[in-house]
Amino acid sequence: MKLNGVTIDATFAEAFPMKATRLVITAHTPTWANHAAVAATGFATSVIACGCEAGIERPLGPDETPDGRPGVAVLIFAMSGKELAKQIERRVGQCVLTCPTTAVYAGLSDGEPVALGKNLRFFGDGWQTSKVIAGVRYWRIPVMDGEFVAQETTAVTKGVGGGNLLLLAADTDAALAGAEAAVEAMRRVPNVILPFPGGVVRSGSKVGSKYPALMASTNDAFCPALTGLARQTELDAATRCVMEIVIDGLTDADVARAMSAGLKAIVERGAPAGVTRVSAGNYGGKLGPFHFHLHQLVPGAEGRP
Amino acid sequence: MSGHRLTLKAAPALRVDARALQPAALAAMSAAQVERLALPHGRDRVAVGELFRVEALDADGARLELAGDLSRFDRIGQALADGALHVHGPVGDHAGAGMSGGTLHIDGDARDLAGCSLRGGWLEVSGSVGDLAASALPGDMDGMRGGTFVVRGHAGVRLADRMRRGTLVVFGDCGDFLASRLVAGTLAIGGRCGAHVGYGMRRGSLVFAGPAPALSPTFVPVHSNADVFWQLLARDLARFGGPFDGLARRRVVRHAGDLAAQGKGELLIPA
Repeated sequence: MKLNGVTIDATFAEAFPMKATRLVITAHTPTWANHAAVAATGFATSVIACGCEAGIERPLGPDETPDGRPGVAVLIFAMSGKELAKQIERRVGQCVLTCPTTAVYAGLSDGEPVALGKNLRFFGDGWQTSKVIAGVRYWRIPVMDGEFVAQETTAVTKGVGGGNLLLLAADTDAALAGAEAAVEAMRRVPNVILPFPGGVVRSGSKVGSKYPALMASTNDAFCPALTGLARQTELDAATRCVMEIVIDGLTDADVARAMSAGLKAIVERGAPAGVTRVSAGNYGGKLGPFHFHLHQLVPGAEGRP
Repeated sequence: MSGHRLTLKAAPALRVDARALQPAALAAMSAAQVERLALPHGRDRVAVGELFRVEALDADGARLELAGDLSRFDRIGQALADGALHVHGPVGDHAGAGMSGGTLHIDGDARDLAGCSLRGGWLEVSGSVGDLAASALPGDMDGMRGGTFVVRGHAGVRLADRMRRGTLVVFGDCGDFLASRLVAGTLAIGGRCGAHVGYGMRRGSLVFAGPAPALSPTFVPVHSNADVFWQLLARDLARFGGPFDGLARRRVVRHAGDLAAQGKGELLIPA
């Protein structure tokens, strides 16, 4: 399929079920809320070695937060509920509790509750107090700038991780510009995060490796350096740079909406802007239950069979 | 489901124990069955039909309405677990004691020990309550331990003695020893209050939307910033309206105490 000169491959992105939660971090000013959110979602690009995938969903205005202060919504995804609980405790304990003026609340209400302030309260060394307000328990921990308020639990829901787009371009400038435009469009979609730096990953991976100890290794079929060398390649000589955008969302519909927004941005820019082809990563469809077919997500696809 | 409306014909000669008038139980009965229900009256029993005119009521869910001067009826809504009980008129002692769910509305005054050992549900008194409301029943360690209790009039002495959990809102004035020996929970008071506020309180929060109370020396001012918590609490209390509306826009001064008993409680006095 070719739209506005951009080739859309007849392939699909394969995604997996994950456990997810949303946290609302508020602070005295948007800047400090952002500092806490950036720290709490740092080193969280891939579950392969980070334990979780996390990112900032969007900034929140004072009218959208429980305490009427500016805030940030953060999404955290992990492969199991247990791992997610561990990551929440570590990240909130080290990055939000420590950040001046912050407070943290659950951003989801439906789902199995896991500890948020429940265990962090022991930092209060006996001076902590709790308060139930409108059926929700909050912990108040005295700290040097006043007190840290944290909701006792947050809800864990089933999420979807690993939706992706591969953007193929003639050179680095074109690939980066295309990826940046797609990321900007996709970040406007609610309930999703793009966990990699700037939303973009250049080291897309395949499952397995020639080294038995490694679970994942470089996606040689999409490496322009290996076009003439690898046993199998997806690239032609004109493609010299490939970028991938990975999407985690609260539901498969959210991931699909984000992929759609990214495709739309690339197609609207057109082939002359640099990205000439869009593909997606999958494992043959046998591993992940969620398949996002690019041809069903391109602009105007609703009317097609 | 449906319900009944019981209108008092004449005040009984002696006190009546009305705890059997439960909306859920009566909803399953016909009007004739309700009339035959016997309530303890002094040392004897008296049939509901002798005291009340019983009418069937169309309602969503179990609903029971009582009308008339019921100030000789004690334990109305005691141990209420679900359904709606609405009383048009004053009631006697122990109204809503030990409630665990449902709603009890009293359009009138309630006497002593209203909402004692309340565990859940919604108890609202449009008039005033007597002494020891929301406190502990004899032999109990804790007083009110859950639910919401709203008093639109005034409250007597020892309100919320040994209360442990839940939200108690009084629009009017309170007597002496407000929240004495409070274990925890939230109280919001709209009017003035008597002597010895928070005597021996361990934890819990008292909000004074009206005049500031006289503080005992065992409460100390806390100057740190607690705006986050105050916003969460004040925004929730705003739903009760009246003196609690607009609390979130007022700055608050905190006093911690009672230092004679752990001292993890607080008095919140908006400026």
